[in-house]
Amino acid sequence: MSATLQNLVNQPYKHGFVTDIETDVAPKGLSEQTIRMISAKKNEPEWLLEFRLNAYRSWLKMEEPTWANVKYTEIDFQAISYYAAPKPKAKLKSMDEVDPELLRTFEKLGVPLHERAALAGVAVDVIFDSVSVATTYKEKLAEVGIIFCAMSEAVQHHPELVQKYLGSVVPVGDNFYAALNSAVFTDGSFCYIPKGVKCPMDLSTYFRINTQESGQFERTLIIAEEGASVSYLEGCTAPKFDTNQLHAAVVELIALDNADIKYSTVQNWYAGDENGVGGIYNFVTKRGLAKGVNSRISWTQVETGSAITWKYPSCVLLGENSVGEFYSVALTNHHQQADTGTKMIHIGKNTRSTIVSKGISAGHSNNSYRGLVKVTPTAAGARNYSQCDSMLIGDQSGAHTFPYIQVRNNTAKVEHEASTSKIGEDQLFYFAQRGIGAEAAVSMIINGFCKDVFQQLPLEFAVEATNLLSFKLEGSVG
Amino acid sequence: MSAPATTTAGYLESLLAGQPQLPASPLAWLNTLRAEAVDRVGALTVPTVRDEEWRFTDISPLTKLSFQPVSAPTSLQAADIERFYIEEATTRLVFVDGVYAPQLSSVAADAGVVVTNLAAAATDLAAIAPHLGQHAAFHDDVFAALNTAFLHDAAVLVVPRNVAVSAPVHLLFIATQKEAASYPRCLLLAESGCAVTVIEDYVALQEEAYFTNAVTEIALADNARVNHIRVQREGAQAFHIANCAVSLARASHFHSVSVALGARISRYNLNTLQTAEGTECIVDGLALIANNQLADTHTCIDHAQPHGVSRQQHKCIAGGNAHAVFNGKIMVRPGAQRTDSSQSSHNLLLSGRAHVDTKPQLEIFADDVKCTHGATVGQLDSEEVFYLRSRGLSEIVARNMLTYAFGAEIIERIPVASLKRQLGQTVLEQTSSQT
Repeated sequence: MSATLQNLVNQPYKHGFVTDIETDVAPKGLSEQTIRMISAKKNEPEWLLEFRLNAYRSWLKMEEPTWANVKYTEIDFQAISYYAAPKPKAKLKSMDEVDPELLRTFEKLGVPLHERAALAGVAVDVIFDSVSVATTYKEKLAEVGIIFCAMSEAVQHHPELVQKYLGSVVPVGDNFYAALNSAVFTDGSFCYIPKGVKCPMDLSTYFRINTQESGQFERTLIIAEEGASVSYLEGCTAPKFDTNQLHAAVVELIALDNADIKYSTVQNWYAGDENGVGGIYNFVTKRGLAKGVNSRISWTQVETGSAITWKYPSCVLLGENSVGEFYSVALTNHHQQADTGTKMIHIGKNTRSTIVSKGISAGHSNNSYRGLVKVTPTAAGARNYSQCDSMLIGDQSGAHTFPYIQVRNNTAKVEHEASTSKIGEDQLFYFAQRGIGAEAAVSMIINGFCKDVFQQLPLEFAVEATNLLSFKLEGSVG
Repeated sequence: MSAPATTTAGYLESLLAGQPQLPASPLAWLNTLRAEAVDRVGALTVPTVRDEEWRFTDISPLTKLSFQPVSAPTSLQAADIERFYIEEATTRLVFVDGVYAPQLSSVAADAGVVVTNLAAAATDLAAIAPHLGQHAAFHDDVFAALNTAFLHDAAVLVVPRNVAVSAPVHLLFIATQKEAASYPRCLLLAESGCAVTVIEDYVALQEEAYFTNAVTEIALADNARVNHIRVQREGAQAFHIANCAVSLARASHFHSVSVALGARISRYNLNTLQTAEGTECIVDGLALIANNQLADTHTCIDHAQPHGVSRQQHKCIAGGNAHAVFNGKIMVRPGAQRTDSSQSSHNLLLSGRAHVDTKPQLEIFADDVKCTHGATVGQLDSEEVFYLRSRGLSEIVARNMLTYAFGAEIIERIPVASLKRQLGQTVLEQTSSQT
């Protein structure tokens, strides 16, 4: 039985092709000069260069974290190229002028860049290696005052907003990879929802790594003013290489009074082959600051790719009655390693948080949930509920839970529960009895297992995630 | 970085100062073991909050004081310690400041077990050698290494094959002198098919600062059953650091209840290792602390073989400025199929300044297992208080009753009636005085 389950999870990676496109790649290595070069290329103001250099200097003093439950060969930060961009043919005026090779790439990935063909009702910012190549529906959004553009564009056109908020949630010296990102970030998405505006469509960023020797260091900043609300989606893929690429992103969310930000990710970076060769190292810092009263930040993630995932989308619940949510499905297979979870920092009164984490490990993979729920003395009436469930497929995989609970206020109520289970023969037998084959049964069981999380995804993503899991688990059940 | 390292090295040296005065044992292997441990103490440093295992427990107050083994043992009369006796326990070994006190100890003739002190033991040494110092690893733990370096007097219990000992065995460790360091050591060998109940009990006759660094090793052979009850009621200024290592052979059954009431800073590491199939391991704990106390319990239940069952329930009640720490690790090794494990950590905060850090932790490497854990932190349920008040109880009585009930669930599991009564009373008094 377990052999058929093994086969079920071994599906080829569909997004592993390389786009043959002329690319402008910076020489490998990291120094102050590299940073000055990136900053000059992007024609950045002085303060941003200073921000980068500060980050670089604090990064030099830091040590690579080793506490995560992942093993990998040391990364040579001097062997990475910190800038790679498709060579622009000319200055783009409209979408029709985007390099057709790029258009084809994204068509193939299912992210059409033409607005007429684009996913109905979703505005997309597309990041290819180090730069944003296109943003759809920009004008339509501008009508209601929403700014949605590439980070490098925001730096040019809205420097006051960027300067005010960049690094305000994840400071430059926050951690090793955040500092690295702050020093060398090249692009990303910037999104500003003005006071009282409910964003009329889902916003989304699609990340693609294409160059073998480069890393991707993008930076996303989302600001929701008083009473604003937005739903944001993120997707990522990369070609198959037998070397590892580094992806060290920083995402900052800021929600002011009564604002609501929903951030959903379907992460499908290349995970390496069945022997664990190649794949992306995904070392990401994501943090939301629920700054205003009654604000809400919700993270939903479906993590299926990457050789190594090191990611803890967090909520700092500062405003009174603010709400933090974290819904996660992490699927690991072959030699993938995921160490993911969340941090909920309760500071304001009557803050509430919910954590639902589902881990599925197959093959030789290791899947860890690592979470922190911290209630500070000021957080009277704080409430947390956490649930993390793991499912194991095959006896070579591992599932781990490291929940830290720190409570400094006696009016707080914190609950945590976790369970581990497997797809039992008896369950499959029950399905078989009712005339449902093993393959459909496994898919059903897994979808049922992940239902609490999928329900949180926006519709198109929920469909994509369900398909993604069943693709990954599809195969030869006999 | 180098400066504090030297300080702790200096501190460890000062703790070791009394070690050379220890009489050499007639047993060559024991002397070698001690020497190895002294070497390890030299190589290790005192843990700080930078070490993950000690992240929430700052033991720097310990390193500010100097402790030495007592030079002149206090002579106590039976009358001084009678109140600590447990009526069911006819066999009792008493250690005063870590030194064996034969005049206070008594071994029932019909006990059917070998109960002795290592320094005096002449019988059955062959049985001890493969176990002593072998279960409680001291290579990475500076406190276990210190204890092993001072290994001299030790409570040794050997329960022969297929013997069911009806009366519990009471190991009583009494602290009487301030600034004393004591290194209590227990070794329990439960041979196949035997059954025994052991009470490890730490008490104090004075309230000044002292340091207890205990190590207990328990080896269960096939089908053995051991009830291990551990009561830590040290003085209010005491430092108590203890390691307990348990090894479980085929189909053996281990039930442990540990109760932490005393000490300014206490730390208890309990590691159980399953060495064969079909073992059962039940680990219960209660920490009831107030004022500026810190109680830290770290447990690791290691399912290294198939068909292991483990059940753990740990509760903390923290009042005043107290700080409770719990870290419970359940390890399911590759191949340990059909493991069935559950763990829960429940914490009650009675005051606005009390705090708790809890981390139930699961590490699973086998797929056909059933593992669950849960943790809660909170205060008394206002609806429960309301219910009791609607029955005419005052708020304070209702709260005391609920707090008592919270702790009593663990106390109830102690299989020795008089001790259960005694501890129940203590919990009742302590929870009442805190409101």
